[in-house]
Amino acid sequence: MDRIIATAEALWRMMRRIAEILLLLHWFNLLSVEGTRYSLPGKPTLTRCRSPEKETFTCWWEPSFDGGLSTTYALYYCKENSDTVHECPDYHTAGVNSCFFNKNNTSIWVNYNITVVATNALGSTFSDPVEIDVVYIVMPHPPENVGVTVLEDKGWPFLRLSWEPPHKVDTRSGWITLIYELRVKLEEETEWEMHLAGQQKMFNIFSLRSGGTYLVQVRCKPDHGFWSEWSSTTSIKVPDYFQRERSVWVMIMVSSAFIFLIITWLIHINSHSLKHYILPPVPGPKIKGFDKQFMKDGKSEGFFCDLVSIHFPATTTPNDEDLLVEYLEVCVPEEQELKMEDKGEDGCPKSESSTSDCDSGRGSCDSQTLLIDKCFKRVAPGLDIECSQTGTGANEIQDSPDVSSGRVKTWPSVYSPLSQHPVDLMHSLDKSKQHCLSDTLFPSDSSCPYHSHPDHSTNDNPDSTYWKFCFNNKQRLLLRPQMETQWQPHAYSEVNISATVRSSDYVEAHNISDENTVVLHSVSSSHDDREGTGYKYQGEDYSHVQRVGSDNVLMLQRGLMKEPVDTGFCKNQQANRAAGTSDTSPITRNQKPTVCNETTLSVNGPAANGYVDTATMFIKPTQD
Amino acid sequence: MDPEEEEEEKRQTVKGKMARRRTDRGRICVTVLFVVAASGAIPINDLLDRASQQSDRMHSLSTMLTHELGSHFPPIGKVMMPRPGSCHTSSLQTPNDKAQALQISEADLLSLARSLLQAWSDPLMVLSSSVSTLPHPAQSRISNKLQQLQEHSQSLGDGLEMLSGKMGPTAQTISLLPYRGGNDLGQDRISKLVNFNFLLSCLRRDSHKIDSFLKVLRCRAAKMQPEIC
Repeated sequence: MDRIIATAEALWRMMRRIAEILLLLHWFNLLSVEGTRYSLPGKPTLTRCRSPEKETFTCWWEPSFDGGLSTTYALYYCKENSDTVHECPDYHTAGVNSCFFNKNNTSIWVNYNITVVATNALGSTFSDPVEIDVVYIVMPHPPENVGVTVLEDKGWPFLRLSWEPPHKVDTRSGWITLIYELRVKLEEETEWEMHLAGQQKMFNIFSLRSGGTYLVQVRCKPDHGFWSEWSSTTSIKVPDYFQRERSVWVMIMVSSAFIFLIITWLIHINSHSLKHYILPPVPGPKIKGFDKQFMKDGKSEGFFCDLVSIHFPATTTPNDEDLLVEYLEVCVPEEQELKMEDKGEDGCPKSESSTSDCDSGRGSCDSQTLLIDKCFKRVAPGLDIECSQTGTGANEIQDSPDVSSGRVKTWPSVYSPLSQHPVDLMHSLDKSKQHCLSDTLFPSDSSCPYHSHPDHSTNDNPDSTYWKFCFNNKQRLLLRPQMETQWQPHAYSEVNISATVRSSDYVEAHNISDENTVVLHSVSSSHDDREGTGYKYQGEDYSHVQRVGSDNVLMLQRGLMKEPVDTGFCKNQQANRAAGTSDTSPITRNQKPTVCNETTLSVNGPAANGYVDTATMFIKPTQD
Repeated sequence: MDPEEEEEEKRQTVKGKMARRRTDRGRICVTVLFVVAASGAIPINDLLDRASQQSDRMHSLSTMLTHELGSHFPPIGKVMMPRPGSCHTSSLQTPNDKAQALQISEADLLSLARSLLQAWSDPLMVLSSSVSTLPHPAQSRISNKLQQLQEHSQSLGDGLEMLSGKMGPTAQTISLLPYRGGNDLGQDRISKLVNFNFLLSCLRRDSHKIDSFLKVLRCRAAKMQPEIC
């Protein structure tokens, strides 16, 4: 029996050894397997310890590699005054790899020496110790109950933020003093706007964007600790306060409307001048002899007369066409038929004062008074023509013989119908008037106001010696008393012609030279051609100015003289000088615009026929 | 090196003179405050508020000093560091947690604060005198901060003294906590640094205690102004 027991024990020992060997072999086998090596666990590290309210605290650690084996971690600490090592009381409250120290285990103003140990099958690894004092590691939770509202300050909105300290922090007793910080931004922005709020729990934000959505966050910090995390974002939308700005817009609209009304009113007031400025008046038709006004007022016959008269100045040279070629109309009283013919030249030489009048078709006599006045002052002796100016603006001309502007602007055509064609005084007057005036001053009963056709002339009055000179509208034509009433006195220059006039001859102002000299030619007695065809220039017959009276009366001589005489009127001339020449010589056209210093208008004695054939008038308004 | 040292010494003397002038001014201010407070013109709340600000500033300065010194601290020094329990003020019984701290009466709190503050007047002078020879790169900054610390400590002491007069005899009791470290912090460089660091760490804690007590006092006194606490 004993032998059996001894054998059993020996077998048992052997089996144990074999098991151990097998285990060892297994171990070595495990160790020698490729890719798996077991080692001690890596060194863990204490990442941080934090106390949210200075009453408890938590420590977290970071494990290292576990060495292939399951590793356990343990935290050990000791306080400064004792050597007793304690282990972490709570590994779970604060999560994984953490240790939570509750109130009972927390002492302040006491240094803790904390170590974490990682242990696996092979061994343990200790972390580096960390010394902490709870009062230095305070990091509270974020503020709570962050509220944002939109309030108004005098019509302008602002944000009011309010919050509360984290519920665990005891600020009431002064155990922890918190200061706050907040940040604001618009939803679409990237940059936050930071504000330090101090110890207060309320904050106002102004200068908001209308209609924007704002995001707000708050955080806190104990007086000697760490900043908390940012609170959760609170968003708020600012309502549109454009309506509050409406009053501003209303004011702007009202004031702009007011300004607009004022501008409109101003434009309306000055509409006339503005119209002229922007749209200058279109000049009327520029037809020679075409009196627009006459067209308006006259009858068709007058229109016809005008048209006919256009053809009359056949001998006008081209360069003189633009000059005024008008005729001195000599109006013979009833026994004579004065055929006045106006050249109807509207192309009066451009006056400096009113060029537009000439172009406008109004009576070219509108223009300057100075011309007529002047010329007749210098009329050659022998011709008593009384020039008187009654029109406005004539004063200056009367005063100075020098015509400053220097030009004979317009001349009524002096047309002395010396032929047997009686001149209708009215016609002549009308014609002359028409020629001179833009508005008719003639009595309306003249059939041919502008110039009288031979057709219209009914009276052959060779005996009439009255000449009526119609110059421009500023001058008055003196007629016989019975005729005077029909005239408007301020329209004409008065011309008294004492000489007998042969009604058969016409005095026409042929043209106007460069220096505004009017060449008058007498028309020959053959007037037959005129009928229906207008007046022809009959030749170079001249009327003779017998003398110039003292009162600027031009005395025309009867009879024809064919000797050309250079006569020129100068400003300085006096009528007497003109009387020096005995012969009235026809005054030729003064081709040269030279200043004439003497009147050489010669006046003959009364011709046998007693007519003043032609009178040439030279006017030299320009004075040297 | 000699001219540099001389310059440094000149600077130090100038700073010392300025510090003394500032201290004199602070003393005058505090005296005025004391007189006014004695007449009851300044309420306790304002005094405590002012005192809290001073203590807060002190603790910030000491924290900065600790960090400055710790940046260039030899690792071996940490081993040699004496234990914090060997601060000369450790004998003073102070609360260890919030519950204990809130149970202390106001007078006791003030007494504790005053005792701690008083305990640091001498060591601060030792530190100031030793900083000139401190083998540290940030020595000038440390010196400057130490001077400010001294001034704050001075003015705070005067203010607390004024306060204690209003809070009863218990508040005027000061526990003596003498400093026995001597004037010399160490002979060699390492020991100097270690001792300096140790003192500063003790100062940091004590200044925090003072600050905490005063802030608790402030909130207790400001019952009419709950927004402060």
